[in-house]
Amino acid sequence: MNLLRKILHSRLFMVWGSTLVAIIICLAITLVLIAHSKRTRILDAPSKLPDTANPTDILPPPEQVNIFLLNPTSLEITPVQVELRLYSEPTERLKQIVSALVQETLPNYRNPIPRGTLLNEAYIDSQKTAYLDFSHHLADGHIGGTTAELLTVTAILKTVFDAFPNEIIHVQILIDGKEKKTLAGHLNLSQPLRF
Amino acid sequence: MWFPSFKSLSIFLFILILISVTHGIAHASTVRFVDGEGETLAEVEFKLHQEIVYLPVETLKTAFDPEMTHEYHRPRKQLILKTKGKELRLRMGNTTVNIDSGKQTFTLPAPPLAIEGQPMLPIHFFRKILEHLDDVEVLYNPNLQRIRIIPKTAWALDISDDTREWTIIIDPGHGGEGDLGCKSQNGLLEKDIVLAAAKEIKKLSEQHQLSIHLTRDQDTEKTLIQRVQTANREQGRLFLSLHCNASFSPNHKGMRLYINNPNGQPRFRTSEMPRFGKKRLNILNQANYLKQSKNFANVLQKELNFLAENPIVITEFPIITLSDISMPAVLLELGYLSNIDDAKRLSNPDHISELAVAIIRAIQIYSASVNQPSKSNGFSERKPSDTN
Repeated sequence: MNLLRKILHSRLFMVWGSTLVAIIICLAITLVLIAHSKRTRILDAPSKLPDTANPTDILPPPEQVNIFLLNPTSLEITPVQVELRLYSEPTERLKQIVSALVQETLPNYRNPIPRGTLLNEAYIDSQKTAYLDFSHHLADGHIGGTTAELLTVTAILKTVFDAFPNEIIHVQILIDGKEKKTLAGHLNLSQPLRF
Repeated sequence: MWFPSFKSLSIFLFILILISVTHGIAHASTVRFVDGEGETLAEVEFKLHQEIVYLPVETLKTAFDPEMTHEYHRPRKQLILKTKGKELRLRMGNTTVNIDSGKQTFTLPAPPLAIEGQPMLPIHFFRKILEHLDDVEVLYNPNLQRIRIIPKTAWALDISDDTREWTIIIDPGHGGEGDLGCKSQNGLLEKDIVLAAAKEIKKLSEQHQLSIHLTRDQDTEKTLIQRVQTANREQGRLFLSLHCNASFSPNHKGMRLYINNPNGQPRFRTSEMPRFGKKRLNILNQANYLKQSKNFANVLQKELNFLAENPIVITEFPIITLSDISMPAVLLELGYLSNIDDAKRLSNPDHISELAVAIIRAIQIYSASVNQPSKSNGFSERKPSDTN
């Protein structure tokens, strides 16, 4: 008994014991986080609501929308259904959907939007042209190549046109608030695009 | 316990056999003979002897001359071929080919052989001898085991003075420290590969009496405007922009051809020319040369398909690199640096030379056809066409 007490109160046991407890806690947290990330993700509505939002818009119900990613088997840009809590106001919806596309990372698909890209702002004008202002990563972080450039723009356009079949006809891509002629030197972005 | 494991083992072996059989079928050792248009004339199984491809004598009948006859004297090991009005005498194990009793004699790098009792011809026979039997040109692609037999048309024999005066602009994309283009996993850079290809084309053009001008001949950065200015200053008649492709999937591979079309996929909101009052301003840019660019792309596609595993696709969309070029213009992606096989091919100088040969041929065919519109395949357009 004395020996056991000695061991339990020894400095070595305290150090190793606390390390072991810390490792177990870290493992448990990691497992919880993995389990949580595997569930269908519902993107939270941004904390700042649009001015036009009414009280019932505070927590919109989840909706199914398509975002378009690269299927590495078919080598096509294909729709993938995700659940989002979307506002009813078109510009806010557009921001939410394009932001979801930019951030999406599904294991069986490739996202053709360069990592680190953010949607700064979105706007729809009276001629049904959507202006999407991305961060500089969309151009600077691009891998180059005509196919890759086409895949990036196709994913953006298809995602927007699928979600807004009547409200948006053209899309103008902007980088940090400015018109940019091209992302990686091939596709001409100097005018709004459509399919 | 024993029975299920035996069953699973049987299923595993069955699947293994099935995979091996299908794999064997998919990669059958054949040589494909194609005509000038890329259509298959014959697909013949070959035998390998000391790493040399050997084909049965009957191949000549299916791929070259349906009226060919042959006699094989087994004891004397002598093969007599009668084709295209000529008599060829060959002996098994001997590299000499005798045509019309010694009127012409050729030496092959490898001799014909009797394999499993059947006389077989080395691949060199098809590459070197057929051109002396008929008015044809023979091209061989050892990587894909393809032989292309093309009738020697007027373009190859008689390039007009007008064509010789043409200046063809070859535009190696990207360049300099600020614009590397895309890159492979092992560090190959697009700007270097396209420059090497452009220089090879220029080197070859001198043998073919073609005037080629490069938008850059060093690793320097050139703006789009500078490239356009060079093309216009040199009064170019054709513009070919060389690039290497990349994708987010490593499975994308092969060559691609692109044409500038504001009404392609995706398309511009409007492709109308700007107006000055009520008058439409007819600015000379790439949109005016859409038809000619398509024709040039079609010729390039036909010539490059011989080097491609899968048929090359031509895609149209608004291309910034070509939009202000006022002459027929095409963008050629030589392969994907994001694909291991393509990157390996593009780092091989022999492959770059093959590409350069095919591009020179395409330029010759296109320019000769434009200058001789009465001939078959003639593209009778010398002036800008209407948009679309």
